[in-house]
Amino acid sequence: MPSPLDSAALDRALHGTMFAGNVHVFATIDSTNTYAMREGATSAPGGSVYIASEQTAGRGRGAHRWHSEPDSGVYMSLLLRPRIAPADALWLSLAAGLAVQQGIADVTGLKADIRWPNDLLLGGRKFCGILTEMNAEATQVRYAVTGIGINVNHAMFPEELQWVATSLRVEAGREQDCTAVAAAILRALDAELRDLMQADTIALATASLLTRFEECSTWARGKRVSVDEAGGYTGVTAGLDARGFLRVDTGTEMRTVLSGGVRELTPGV
Amino acid sequence: MNAGQLQSLKDLIEFLKQQNVGEFELEQEGLKVRLNFGGKEKPTVSGPDAGQIAALLAAAAPATSAAPAAASPAPAAAAARAAAPAADENAGLHIVKSPIVGTFYEASAPGAEAFAKVGDRVEAGQILCIVEAMKLMNEIESDAAGEIVKRLVTNGQPVEYGQPLFAIRPR
Repeated sequence: MPSPLDSAALDRALHGTMFAGNVHVFATIDSTNTYAMREGATSAPGGSVYIASEQTAGRGRGAHRWHSEPDSGVYMSLLLRPRIAPADALWLSLAAGLAVQQGIADVTGLKADIRWPNDLLLGGRKFCGILTEMNAEATQVRYAVTGIGINVNHAMFPEELQWVATSLRVEAGREQDCTAVAAAILRALDAELRDLMQADTIALATASLLTRFEECSTWARGKRVSVDEAGGYTGVTAGLDARGFLRVDTGTEMRTVLSGGVRELTPGV
Repeated sequence: MNAGQLQSLKDLIEFLKQQNVGEFELEQEGLKVRLNFGGKEKPTVSGPDAGQIAALLAAAAPATSAAPAAASPAPAAAAARAAAPAADENAGLHIVKSPIVGTFYEASAPGAEAFAKVGDRVEAGQILCIVEAMKLMNEIESDAAGEIVKRLVTNGQPVEYGQPLFAIRPR
C-alpha cells in the first residue's frame, strides 16, 4: 500500500522554505528521530526532514512510547543546525509547539491548545507530541532534531488512551490529507524557527515567542496543575519566566518547572 | 532565596571578580547587595564568599520567601566551607559541566544502562549523560579523554547552567 504522503506535492508546497528539496519520505520507519540523529552525525544538511506515516519504535519522553498506526499519522523529524548556544536551543522546543498549532489551524481550522512546553491538545486530549534531541559542544549546538508525531486519521484509540488521546479526524469529523497537514506544519515551522537559529536575531524572536505563547496557551496562566518532577507538587500556573520555563505558584512559593509532566488538576481529584 | 537565585548570585560574583571590579551595589525590591572586593573597609574580611552573601541576602529577603530564605544560609555556608578542600581534591581533574538548566539523567530511558559510571575510561566526544529541559534531551559529551573519578549529581536531579556533572582524570 503506498504511503499517504506525497513526496512531490510536499516538495512543491515547501518551495521557498529551509526544507525545500530536503524532504525524505518513508512508508514506515523505526523512529524518525533516531534516523535524523544518525544523519546529524554525518554531513546531512540542516533543514533535512525525515517523514513517515508509520513508526514501529516511536519514542516519547523517558520510557514513553508513541502509539503509531499504519497510514494514520504524520511522524516527522527535522534536522536543524542552528548557530546558537546550547541553552538557547530550548526555544526550539517552545517554537515547535506554536508552529504546529498554527499549521493545524491553517489546514483544518481547528484551534488547538498548547500544554507547556509543547503538547498539542484538542478538547483536552493530546493529538501531537514533540521531542527534541540535541548534540552540542559547550558553547555551540552541532545539530538538533525536533521530532513531531501527529495523530491525523486515527478513528479510535486503545482503551488505555481513549480519555487522553485524540486525532484530527476525530475532532474535525472527517478524514484529513496527511500531505497537506505535513506541509502546513512545515511552512509554519519555517516561519517560526528561522530567526531563532541565528545568534544575531534570536533575542527579538524570543521576546515575541514568549508573548505569543502566553496568548496561545490556556496552560500558561491560571491553570491548576500537578507537576511530576522534584518529588511532585501542585499549584496554579503563573506565566513563563524570561527563559521560557513555566512558573507555578504553590501557595507558599513560586516554583519553576524544568521538564514537563504538567497535568491539569480537576475538581475532586 | 531559591537555588536559581543563589546560583545567579554566585555567577555574578565570579563575573565581578574576573572583571576586577572593586565595589558593587545592587538594590531591587526586597533585596540589597553590596560587595567590596578590596577588603580595605573591613580588614577582617579578605573577600566575600557565597555563604556570607547568601546569609546577607537571606536576612534582607522579604517575608514572602521566608521558608526558603531561612533554609538557605546554612547549606550555602556549608557549601562554601566545603569548597576549599574540594578544590584541592579536584586539582588536576577535568570537570564536565552542564551547558543547560535541566534534569540530569544517567541513561537514555528509565531502567536502561547508564551511559557512564565511575571508573569508566571515556574518550572525548563520548556521551556521558542527558540533561533534559522542556522535552529537549541534550546529550552531554565528555570534552576530555580519561577516567571518570566522580559523578557529582544523582539521577533525576535538577541541575543549573554550568553545574559540575563529572570529574575526569585526563590521561
